[in-house]
Amino acid sequence: MRILLGTCSLLAALSVGAAPVLFEKDIRPILKEHCFQCHGEDGKEKGDLDVRLRRLLLEGGEHGPAIVAGQPGKSLLFQKVRDGKMPKDQKKLAAAEIALIREWIAQGAKTARPEPVDPNAVLITTEERNFWAFQPIKNPAVPKGAKNPIDAFLLKQLKAKGLAFSKAADKRTLIRRATFDLTGLPPTPAEIKKFVEDNSPGAFAKIIDRLLDSPRYGERWGRHWLDVAGYADSEGYTESDAERAWAWRYRDYVIRAFNIDMPWDRFIREQLAGDEMVKPPYNNLKPEQIDKLTATGFLRMAPDGTGAGANNAAARNQVMAETLKIVSTSLMGLTVGCAQCHDHRYDPIPQHDYYQLRAIFEPSLDPKRWRAPNSRRITLFTDAERKKSDAIEVEAKKLDGERQKKVDFFIKQTLSWKLESIPEAARKPLREAYRAKKRNAEQNALLKKYPSVRQISAGSLYLYDREYSGEISKLNTERKKLADKKEDPKAMEELKRLDARIKFFRDALSKKVLDAMAKKAKDLRATKPEEPFIRALTEQPGKVPTTHVFYRGNHDQPKTAVKPAGLSVVTAKAIPENNEAIPSTGRRTAFAKHLTAGQHPLTARVLVNRFWLHHFGRGLVDTPGDFGKLGERPSHPELLDWLASDFMKHGWQLKRLHKLIMTSDAYRQVSRRNAKQDSIDPDNRLLGRVNIRRMEAETIRDAILSVSGQIKNKIGGKPVPVMEDEVGQFIIGKENLDGERKPGKSADLKGEEFRRSLYVQVRRSRKLSFLDAFDAPAMEPNCAKRPVSTVAPQALIFMNNEFVIAQSRVMAERLQKLAPKDPDGQLAAGWEHALGHEPIGDELSRAREFVQKQTALFKERKDKTPELTALANYCQALMSANRFVYVD
Amino acid sequence: MNEFLANSTRRHFLSQNAMGIGGVALAWLLQREGLLANPVKPDLAAVAHNLLPKQPHHAPRAKAMISCFMQGGPSHMDICDPKPLLDKWNGKDFPEKIKYDNAAQASSKVLASKWKFKKHGQSGMDFSEIVPGFGSIADEICLIRSMRTGVNNHGQSIHALNSGRTVAGRPALGSWLTYGLGTENQNLPAYMVLRDPVNIPVLGVLNWSAGWLPSLYQGTVVRAREPRILNLDPPPHLRGKPQENFLEFLSALNRDGKSKGELDLEARIASFELAARMQTAAADVMDISDESDATKKLYGIDDAATKDFGTRCLIARRLVERGVRFVQVFTKNQFWDHHGNIINSLPASCKKIDRPMAALVKDLKGRGLLDSTVVHWGGEMGRLPVVQNEKSPGRDHNTYGFSMWLAGGGFKGGHIHGATDEWGHRAIENVVNHYDYHATLLHLFGLDHTRLTYKRAAQEQTLTDGQPGKVVKEILA
Repeated sequence: MRILLGTCSLLAALSVGAAPVLFEKDIRPILKEHCFQCHGEDGKEKGDLDVRLRRLLLEGGEHGPAIVAGQPGKSLLFQKVRDGKMPKDQKKLAAAEIALIREWIAQGAKTARPEPVDPNAVLITTEERNFWAFQPIKNPAVPKGAKNPIDAFLLKQLKAKGLAFSKAADKRTLIRRATFDLTGLPPTPAEIKKFVEDNSPGAFAKIIDRLLDSPRYGERWGRHWLDVAGYADSEGYTESDAERAWAWRYRDYVIRAFNIDMPWDRFIREQLAGDEMVKPPYNNLKPEQIDKLTATGFLRMAPDGTGAGANNAAARNQVMAETLKIVSTSLMGLTVGCAQCHDHRYDPIPQHDYYQLRAIFEPSLDPKRWRAPNSRRITLFTDAERKKSDAIEVEAKKLDGERQKKVDFFIKQTLSWKLESIPEAARKPLREAYRAKKRNAEQNALLKKYPSVRQISAGSLYLYDREYSGEISKLNTERKKLADKKEDPKAMEELKRLDARIKFFRDALSKKVLDAMAKKAKDLRATKPEEPFIRALTEQPGKVPTTHVFYRGNHDQPKTAVKPAGLSVVTAKAIPENNEAIPSTGRRTAFAKHLTAGQHPLTARVLVNRFWLHHFGRGLVDTPGDFGKLGERPSHPELLDWLASDFMKHGWQLKRLHKLIMTSDAYRQVSRRNAKQDSIDPDNRLLGRVNIRRMEAETIRDAILSVSGQIKNKIGGKPVPVMEDEVGQFIIGKENLDGERKPGKSADLKGEEFRRSLYVQVRRSRKLSFLDAFDAPAMEPNCAKRPVSTVAPQALIFMNNEFVIAQSRVMAERLQKLAPKDPDGQLAAGWEHALGHEPIGDELSRAREFVQKQTALFKERKDKTPELTALANYCQALMSANRFVYVD
Repeated sequence: MNEFLANSTRRHFLSQNAMGIGGVALAWLLQREGLLANPVKPDLAAVAHNLLPKQPHHAPRAKAMISCFMQGGPSHMDICDPKPLLDKWNGKDFPEKIKYDNAAQASSKVLASKWKFKKHGQSGMDFSEIVPGFGSIADEICLIRSMRTGVNNHGQSIHALNSGRTVAGRPALGSWLTYGLGTENQNLPAYMVLRDPVNIPVLGVLNWSAGWLPSLYQGTVVRAREPRILNLDPPPHLRGKPQENFLEFLSALNRDGKSKGELDLEARIASFELAARMQTAAADVMDISDESDATKKLYGIDDAATKDFGTRCLIARRLVERGVRFVQVFTKNQFWDHHGNIINSLPASCKKIDRPMAALVKDLKGRGLLDSTVVHWGGEMGRLPVVQNEKSPGRDHNTYGFSMWLAGGGFKGGHIHGATDEWGHRAIENVVNHYDYHATLLHLFGLDHTRLTYKRAAQEQTLTDGQPGKVVKEILA
């Protein structure tokens, strides 16, 4: 879409012959994107040519002037791009861009204003500063004509196109829409009934209040924020994708923050600098202090391989880079990542800016004094717990010691047995060779000759058990032969010898004994109180590192030192390098204040846009992570500004904004298309109806669990584990691999498997297959907007997946209980549970016909419960229906 | 549903990580207008992954591959790498340095092969008497006797041969191929795994894991019991008529008028129709009843010893015939890990696969498919020249020198490449490391192993991962 619009605007610029083509406005962006890198930036001037100013183009390089004003045909610049000779890489200029350059030269190569002397002085042009997203947030007057300001702004643009709102949706549609929007779950038939029967004028507002008060609200909206924050329960980066044990506390903090309607300025400040709100040292922490430290987990969400075998400069640098990506897309709606290596090609973010932003985080993610994840943890252990744990460890160590003695004994047994099969003369030297702390050449040679002795080790003891068992059974056979020779003294002698021999081998059987001893120590250690940690971001007191611009982004090529600051285009006040009043530098606190002080043009806009997106299915700017030049322009710039300014004016509180949005006429419209709108506004950007929306992956799973009645609602805690099954699907379960890495059965999860999807472990490399199929994001490092795909594998899941089939059956059992011996009642109840409506017209009779047909088939197939199986299949159809997985 | 939607849906088929129907529709339109020739934002835009056929780097020789993986490590000196020196030294102490895996049964005594070798075909390739089938296709076989991974154990060596490095978490060869090339049949999974009905090999599902590539490129397993392909096949009680009724009822439910004009909803209806077609295609390819008796006999389906493996080889051929890119056929867990009783167990293992694999090569050739299909026989290691377990002799692991063979797809038939030392212990001549093998294989598929990349954690990742893999020119036809 973006691509198309961009091209169109270029074409438009060309066709409007009257508008003069200007260097700063029209040409510089093209050259910046394609040419600056080799001709001007970083002191690089290939062919002695700098193209960053018109003056320099006229001056030219070693081949002469690059342009001749008024004569495109004689201008090298035009010739080179026209003939595809430049740029040299594969990416050539678009035809429209080439035409624009031609037009510019033909018009006399004009500039908007006199050019500065130093090309480095114009890192950001006036044109770039004037871009809409960098303008201060205005508080536009609300147009007349509607009670709700949102409606007023929307209607103004609709009317301009001769359009209007659609009619209001019916109450059942409305409560379903609102309930999914705010809680991510379907409304129950009882809730629907109550609302339908409530004819008071504030009935819908009451519903909104009830939903906003539900703990399920924080789970639903917390999940939206977790996408942007890049929440994951694993470290990523390396192949092992190690588990991230304590990330879930941040997830729970987010849920809590939404549920208590924490003002967003505070929410942002805590996430960026909660650690600076708590005075170190961090022990004996109070709950609110724990929360503030936990909040900084936001800055610890980026993939981090430095604790999993990749503690090197590149990996450390990557943690910083990904963290900046998360911060900039989530709170500033910009992709700053490009400026890591060079000035941003499209947005006014010079490379220098990237590093001044980086400097804000350098003291906490200091590559020179790097701390791997485990050493960053903050313990929540109390002194008493610590003492108890230490005492248990002392006892466990004793058990380890006992086991070691036993290991020594088994080695001795094994050695003496292996020596038996070796020529007598060699035994003694061989024993000495084996035992020797330092072996001489002779001993080494001897051992090489007898690998059966050399190979004996603690780790291989278990291997000998099989041989010993073999020996024992052989001896027993011999023993049996002697059983009836009790009179024979010789036989008795032999019997004694055999018994001693059997005892020798029995004593040598090591695995059971050692395993039991190891288990005993392990079990004892398991009685230690588990040490809880917070995954937080902190600085190292007193350390103030210097940040450098990295040449071409190479972390091993530091150049100029830079001071901390926000982006220049936003003209931030400088951020103090070090706040002496606190042990840390205070840079992040200052930055957070800068973002939330009410002056920042991006933060509030980006936030309200994202809230809007989750209510309407698309943002006012539909590139919620990119408000830059390549992002979309706002469909309703005034509304966006009004919302942002209203949000800030009223204390950055989201619940109030939800209510404002949801009580608008716009939100309550039907989704049905009409021909007039489709012809004028086919993408429904003007919102003359609401968009239908495919539920997110988690919502689909949660909705299935809800209608089956099996959902287990419990807030927070450790993630529900994910394991790989025998075909490589990732399913819920505790990993139980055998020695050859093959999956076995999971342990009983005791109902945890029916918890809401946001509690399912988010391991980057093991996305729950069910969620993966419905576009759950890959956290690399975060997700600004989820894609929605509609593909056959999803259909196959609804048709054949074990989870869906099992849940359909549970739902069917529930329906049988709800309406015993009333088949029609069961069908109607199922319909209402799943779709939020009662069956109308011939819907019930068609359902009945289907279930009867299936029942007959299952009877034929000797199904033990044909009625139930057929009802389950009906439930499965309901779950698979468009009306189930879409909210309209 | 209009034709445009049908097309775009089909194009979009199976792509999990793509943008959705709306996005594809636009991309398609734009492409038609030629406006996407130079995408404006290639390195920032989310990549839409799909399984549509892709253009390789250069003209390919091979289009598909059937890898018959002999997990456990077949004893090369008993099958295809004769070592007369072992006969001379039989029972004597092995004079060189050696590394054992099994400590309890380590022995230094040399073990001669129990089987007679004969030269086969015009090329005169040596095979022992326990693989007569191999002998019958000797002139199609490119035998590499100098394979080497040089790592310790089964798991690590499987990783090396299957995913380029000895660690878990990387994409399998089949995932790379489907990522790089897509597949020719959008109604079947691009990468299929025919596991042994008894159990799965060491490393389990990692053998067909997409690692950090999108899950779209993971191998799809054909299970030993119903439903044979999870999510694709219905559970037994819904097979056939019940599911037909279900889809009919669902379709009526979905065509309730509300979806009028909603492309997403219409696409969703189409996706169920497509899913049903895919089921039919899968059922059809698994059902070998339309194969002639002669073909079935060729594959040994008439013999209890070869029935299972033969059937799976035949299905593999049917898959490749229909455009599936990569098929793995596995023997069961440690089927070739002959630490003891090699005298009985090795011939039994060979019997299971020998006739079916010979049939596979002959059948492909007869159908004109061998030129474009690589058939692979081999495990993750070979065995040692010395005894393990003197009481019931077997051989311990050896990853320093072992054999495997390839046929078709541009490999040189009737050719022996490389050699182990006189003991069969270490590869010494023209050593082929796992990364050389990968570079060569990708080359035949038209791919340059350094250019088939996937960006992850700010780095361009490859199958060979910076190892000095070289295309082994000598084994190319």
